[in-house]
Amino acid sequence: MFPKLDPLLHSELRLAVMSILAGVDEADFTYLKKQTGATSGNLSVQIDKLTAAGYITVEKGFKGKMPRTTCRITEAGQEAFGNYVESLKEYLK
Amino acid sequence: MTAHESLQLISEMLNNSRKDILRSNAKYYMIWGVLLTCFSLAIYILWKTTGQAYWNLLWFAMPLVGFPMDKWIGKREEAVRSENVISRITRGIWLTFCIFSCSVAIFNILFSVVNTSPIGAIAVGTSLSGQIILLFGMAEAITGVALKNWTIKIAGVVTGIGGLALYYGIGLYEEQMLLFTFAGLVLFITGILVKRQNR
Repeated sequence: MFPKLDPLLHSELRLAVMSILAGVDEADFTYLKKQTGATSGNLSVQIDKLTAAGYITVEKGFKGKMPRTTCRITEAGQEAFGNYVESLKEYLK
Repeated sequence: MTAHESLQLISEMLNNSRKDILRSNAKYYMIWGVLLTCFSLAIYILWKTTGQAYWNLLWFAMPLVGFPMDKWIGKREEAVRSENVISRITRGIWLTFCIFSCSVAIFNILFSVVNTSPIGAIAVGTSLSGQIILLFGMAEAITGVALKNWTIKIAGVVTGIGGLALYYGIGLYEEQMLLFTFAGLVLFITGILVKRQNR
């Protein structure tokens, strides 16, 4: 019996965001947009879903006069991401 | 998405972040490589033509030029950036090198003053070149280890060990400045290579 994959992470864009955030302490919205190649609207929606699930935190602020949105992975997010990767490995065994 | 595609996506994203950090490091290597080459050559030429060792004081102007440039580039990158433990470690390594090499130079000048004239003290200070080049190579090689990049590791060893060999092989005075020209060129070339590897 294969383990169930977290449906929240089993989406291309959300998984891409989580993969980036798993490897860094924090990343700007612009950085995530550049790395994933997503549109701002779509990325915002997916980030909101990950935030609602408690997988990431979003901090809105300013750097000088420029608005800046910084995303960070939470402990729950790290755990969910780790479990997801372990489940994927089971599928590939 | 299949399991294989998911894992591929995860590894691609992690790899891209690593490449990003390496590309960012490469920029700083190129800037500081050019600065080091220019300053060492300028001091070499001025010292050789005037015969005065106090031109070594120009080294203290290098951070005054370098740090604002550093900050300017950092600001440009701030809009699109990520931060992780590796980028913090590499920053720490170079900051430690900077503090150690400046301290060694300042202490040498201060304590040599007791026995010699200030100009003579700076001339004595050139015997530090071997130590500083070794510290420089070490900082570069450790950065290579942290970033898991062989080009940087090899460049560090070439600069440190090669520089030390050169130190014993070339003259005692203005010729020592050419050690830093060598280190600057290695740093600049490393920057170009790392940037190319991580396009």
